Amino acid sequence: MIAVKFDAVSKRYRLRGPAGRQRRHEDFWAVKDVSFEVAQGETLGIIGHNGAGKSTILKLLSRITAPSAGTITLNGRIAALIEVGSGFHPELTGRENIFLSGSVLGMRRAEIAAKLDGIIDFSGVEPFIDVPVKRYSSGMFVRLGFAVAAHLEADILLVDEVLAVGDAAFQVQCYERIADMRRNGTTLLFISHDLGSVDRLCDRVVLMNRGRLVGAGTAADVLAQYQQLVTGSFAAATADAAPAAAAGAAKILDVRFVDEAGTEVLGTCTGGALRAAVDIDIATPIHDAVVEVFYYSRDGRTLHCQQSTAVTNETVALTPGRRRLEFVCDGFGLQPGVYSVGGSIRDRRGAGAIDWWYGTRLLHVEPGKSVRGYFYAPHDWRWADAPADAEHHPANL
Amino acid sequence: MSTVVIRPASSAWIHVGDHVARLREYSDLLYTLSAHRVSVRYKQTSLGFIWAVLQPLLMMAIFTAVFSVLAKMPSDGTPYALFAFTALLPWTFFSTAVTNGTNSLVSHSQLITKVYFPREILPITYVLAGLFDLVIGFVVLLAIMSWYHVGLTAQAWNLLPIVGLLVAWALAVSLVLAAIQVRFRDIGVALPVLVQILMFASPIIYPMSVVPGAWQRWYTLNPMAGIVSSFRDVLLRQAAPDPEPLRMAMIVTAIALPLAYLFFKRADATMADVI
Repeated sequence: MIAVKFDAVSKRYRLRGPAGRQRRHEDFWAVKDVSFEVAQGETLGIIGHNGAGKSTILKLLSRITAPSAGTITLNGRIAALIEVGSGFHPELTGRENIFLSGSVLGMRRAEIAAKLDGIIDFSGVEPFIDVPVKRYSSGMFVRLGFAVAAHLEADILLVDEVLAVGDAAFQVQCYERIADMRRNGTTLLFISHDLGSVDRLCDRVVLMNRGRLVGAGTAADVLAQYQQLVTGSFAAATADAAPAAAAGAAKILDVRFVDEAGTEVLGTCTGGALRAAVDIDIATPIHDAVVEVFYYSRDGRTLHCQQSTAVTNETVALTPGRRRLEFVCDGFGLQPGVYSVGGSIRDRRGAGAIDWWYGTRLLHVEPGKSVRGYFYAPHDWRWADAPADAEHHPANL
Repeated sequence: MSTVVIRPASSAWIHVGDHVARLREYSDLLYTLSAHRVSVRYKQTSLGFIWAVLQPLLMMAIFTAVFSVLAKMPSDGTPYALFAFTALLPWTFFSTAVTNGTNSLVSHSQLITKVYFPREILPITYVLAGLFDLVIGFVVLLAIMSWYHVGLTAQAWNLLPIVGLLVAWALAVSLVLAAIQVRFRDIGVALPVLVQILMFASPIIYPMSVVPGAWQRWYTLNPMAGIVSSFRDVLLRQAAPDPEPLRMAMIVTAIALPLAYLFFKRADATMADVI
């Protein structure tokens, strides 16, 4: 049974020319001739750059706007897991707003009444549920809005970057809720920049580029294709007759975090030591390789990259067999949180990557050295105006 | 399991059956939002619901002072205060419903770009919420009538279908103006003037009997003419409403409402893109 069917769907936006000129329209196709199907109970990931058309697909699916051409067929009730705080009225209490935004999302009053306790519980704002929401903190507001959406009964669920909502504990709660719905046979459409989550959750993935569907298949295949797309523009600029990297010459098996004894750990704390161990299976020799480990935020931005060449500027030669390479960092700079991890192997002389890896693994960073700002960097301090002999004993002054 | 087909914007609006079915699915939202409009209207005002009584009373006082005491406007032999209040009842409903209904989409743009629901629910709930003030105003009218020793007769039952007509006409105007307002904010700017013009084009401050006979046919093309004069016929003359203007109001509304709905649904499909 097909749950969602896109049949040659296009969406055109009219961009207005500069003001003052004659009326001139420029057409922009946010989505162009896209067709795909999602089977009932399947989880489909939709990936692509910003502006590739992912969000437009979501808007079309949730009926916020109508397509310019083509038809979309939905079998079953559809719901979007979004934060609906904008449907709240500030003068009404949390409880009244649950009914209000629940009905906006298409729930019946009886259905909301039956789920009221669950929603209040999920939101974690129970003590304030009878207070007007204008007195809520922004965090409470978002959680309550999200809790309502999370209790929609749907056959098809749209999820767009949920993970950017709330704190880590609330995100875990949302993940569990999604997992529950999948187990109950809900069809899931997942739009994300977080390639790790896509890999972990999705049965199938489609890749969007400039409004067109350019790839569809298993998560592993399409994620690889996506990376080719990402590095493609870079490669095209640098590929001055260099031999194309031999795909399959080497493969990353795993990226793990270990302590000095080699035991696996969840992560580190801000400013703490971190060892990232990369297991590689090498098939054919690579004379000048670059191994990299990437750290991504949950919205898909690359926050940090560890690179073998940058560290030593030595040639890394990979000989056939299984090897383990370790990145050692004494003062890891990321702020407390949960990050996705990726790895790659490139040939420094070639274009494109030999292998990309998206782990199922997450890096947990606990609160450590207290810092403000975006990251921690190792630093020291001393008195600069003191006599030389007192320099190392600031307490003596 | 229900199947939904999402069609291109260019052809979606014509599937009226789909729209009505969807509106019925969302009847709970219609109820919740209408009740919500009433309960929120006077929140954080110290006088609360008294405002629903005070507003038309103040209007009546000003109208009586200016048009009766100063301008010596005729009022078909009824005390002017009662004459004015009877017309202000449907007129205040109409002007409030149209003003709120027209702005309802733009004031909920956050919601429209985030969640799907039949957009006509927003103007409809504002029109329905206006009925609450209308009922309160009617109670005040009964008090004024008894003050002037004017009784209520069985003719008053005619008000029910007339109010139905009033709601339908206010809805038709709201749907059209709201749909245009989404694209062209000019409507919002022009609306106060438009409402003023419509008021002087309706028999609010003067009786319909002062309109020259040759103009009557054109004058009654405005459904508010038939509606307001019927209010006076039924309550003050205690007779059956004059059939001519009322029939005209019914014909105009019966043509306007379906067209207004289609016009609205046509704009609905791509509303989120332009709001």
